[in-house]
Amino acid sequence: MEDQDRQFEGSNDRMRGDRGPRRFVRRRQKMMVPEYIDWKDTDYLRRFVPERGKIMPRRISGVSAKDQRRISRAIKRARTMALLPFVGD
Amino acid sequence: MQERIYELMYLADPEVGSEDIEKLNASLKTIVEQQGGTVVRVDDIGLRKLAYEIKRKTKGYYVLFEIQGSGKEIAELERKMRVNDQIIRYLTVRVDEDRKTAEKMRAKRIARQEKRANSKRSEGGPREEIIPFEGALSENL
Repeated sequence: MEDQDRQFEGSNDRMRGDRGPRRFVRRRQKMMVPEYIDWKDTDYLRRFVPERGKIMPRRISGVSAKDQRRISRAIKRARTMALLPFVGD
Repeated sequence: MQERIYELMYLADPEVGSEDIEKLNASLKTIVEQQGGTVVRVDDIGLRKLAYEIKRKTKGYYVLFEIQGSGKEIAELERKMRVNDQIIRYLTVRVDEDRKTAEKMRAKRIARQEKRANSKRSEGGPREEIIPFEGALSENL
């Protein structure tokens, strides 16, 4: 029930105030993350690694704190095996 | 002691021939078996582009092992891989605990969904009424 209601929350552009332009649209919706995050699944992990190669902060991706820890751990593992970049172009 | 499951991935020099890779895999497998572990799965991922250069190389040969055992074989394998100069990099990850928690979470989620579906049915359909947004009504246009 709760999840459904959340979907109908207004767009976030209005809440931004006058803090200047933001590069990413802030996603307020909860982001669903699979139960098992595979560090080898680079296609999935790439979603959390923008061009620059940095790990996307959860304030932008909208994942829970727990999931963010799991994702960042997986990204760091993938980085050591050169599956993901440390620095992007 | 309970058996653990590990994922072991190594990155070999792209110039290493396929027969050398096979030899290497066989020797790693014998190490595991000597230490009382079992190789669950060997996944030969093959040549893949590296995300960044290592030793001036842009490609690498990836092989993934899934190993079940006590943990003793891992120490031996890592020692072996460290001294082997065909192997550029390796990584071992223990996966059994993460898999178990993932399984638990999945079971929980399914249980929750079923509960929700059941309660909805007993209430007699969805409760929410659909209130049309005023601007959407054609007569108001």
